[in-house]
Amino acid sequence: MEVNMTYATQDIWTWWIAIYLYFGGLGAATLAVTFLTDMYLKPHRHLVIWGAGAGVVLLALGSMMLFGHLLDKPAVLAVLNPLILFRKPDAWIAWGTQFIIWMMVWGVLYALPYVRETEFPRKVPLIKGLIDRPFVVTIAKLVQRFHRTVGWLAVINGVGVAVYTGLLLQSFPAVALWHNPAVPLLFTVSAFSTAMAFLLLLMYTLINDQADEHIRVLYERIDLVLIAGELVLLFSLYQYLKNGSESAVRSLQLLWNDYGWVIGFIGFGLIVPFLLELKGVTRGWSTRVPILTASVLVLGGGYLLRHYFMYAGVYAYPW
Amino acid sequence: MTHFAMVIDLNTCVGCNACMAACAMENQSPVWDARKWRTYVHDKEIGLGSDVNRRFFPRLCNHCDNPPCMTVCPTGATQKKANGIVFVDQDLCMGCRACAMACPYHARVAITHADIREGREFYGSDYHRTSASMDKCSFCDHRVEEGRKPACVETCVGSARMFGDLDDPNDPVAQIVASGAARPLMPHIGTRPNVYYIDDIKWRG
Ligand code: SF4
Ligand code: SF4
Repeated sequence: MEVNMTYATQDIWTWWIAIYLYFGGLGAATLAVTFLTDMYLKPHRHLVIWGAGAGVVLLALGSMMLFGHLLDKPAVLAVLNPLILFRKPDAWIAWGTQFIIWMMVWGVLYALPYVRETEFPRKVPLIKGLIDRPFVVTIAKLVQRFHRTVGWLAVINGVGVAVYTGLLLQSFPAVALWHNPAVPLLFTVSAFSTAMAFLLLLMYTLINDQADEHIRVLYERIDLVLIAGELVLLFSLYQYLKNGSESAVRSLQLLWNDYGWVIGFIGFGLIVPFLLELKGVTRGWSTRVPILTASVLVLGGGYLLRHYFMYAGVYAYPW
Repeated sequence: MTHFAMVIDLNTCVGCNACMAACAMENQSPVWDARKWRTYVHDKEIGLGSDVNRRFFPRLCNHCDNPPCMTVCPTGATQKKANGIVFVDQDLCMGCRACAMACPYHARVAITHADIREGREFYGSDYHRTSASMDKCSFCDHRVEEGRKPACVETCVGSARMFGDLDDPNDPVAQIVASGAARPLMPHIGTRPNVYYIDDIKWRG
């Protein structure tokens, strides 16, 4: 039908959903990476505690963003019930909520034996009273016995959260920028890249141990590959949008005409850290400053990606 | 089986907005906020120079057969009846607004607690809403179940809105749709909408 079209971006899900997606991906990927490191590379109490802590705290903060914006908060109980997956298996928010809950549960359990061995939690009154209770001691023993099973349950749910953040946006068919298979991939790769950056930041500052050098080197290498992958995904997304529908072309114009996206995200969030880490991996740096800089930039870029994605989705209305 | 659909004739819509008012009163919409009416008539000037026409374009929920708003709904609040009507169970809805993000037709509106307070004052003791939720056109299913037409259809002065059953070959709506004279909006998105429009442009000038 011959009609005039109206093109519009939305103001329904804005920066707070960007934070939800960002913290969700970052927290979940951090937890998954630290647990895998602990299970297969080197048992590492500090890393696991940081991973589980980041997973729980970031996911809680991110979820509060969504919860705080619900119109009717008590109705959220329906989605917190695991049986929702039988009633609404097609809704990604239902899966995402369950992934988040179970990632937290298995994450805390996996970290429990380590927490009991650590000095700091014993200084926190509430935790101190809890971790020496007989039932907690029994659970910790059980977790130690089924160490890998619990670890994998946390990792699977963590990866589920990271992938979900992209699948959620992909499920909105009217917006070409979101409704394409590059989005879950891009968000997953970005989640793991920001997790690597976060862990490198930690391992060069708060848990800086020379004996962990091989872990740092591995993380740097993985991050390098992830950033390269992200650049390839962005390039293919660009090509897809360039010759796509009007919704796609307009999203492309919004993004690639914006300095925050081009210079902020692609330049400083991807290309600069890629070059810094490339030199670190190939020739090495004499100081830790460049890798710390790269990590901070990757973390900032991860948020910018999600922020701009939310604001640049274009709806095409036929009126 | 019944399969409800609406046909909107853009040639006869005069932009009086009576449908908007009838719908708002029938369904107790938040009339104090222009963005929250269940149906809306867009008013646009099209053409160039002296050859300009006003086009009135009513829009509402398309009661899609493949509704993305229902797929994304995590609570199961958005449901589809066997007769094709897509509705929101306000008690189940938590107001995450994923449905509004998923709808390609801008058919979802948010009813907040503030709207409910205002609604109690505006509509008085008859006000039926009890919880905040997303809202949308329901094809006036409470009227349709009684064999009546939706309020907007009944009130339309230009008979621009027609309502009927696509599965009844004797229904004029089914016949217009079958003839190809009326077409749905953006069918390429895969939503399989049940609101059809008769184009006005080709009859002009
Ligand atoms: S028009 Fe929008 S709200 Fe209505 S059924 Fe289709 S997708 Fe859902
Ligand atoms: S706002 Fe309500 S109807 Fe819409 S997706 Fe969320 S729970 Fe479902």
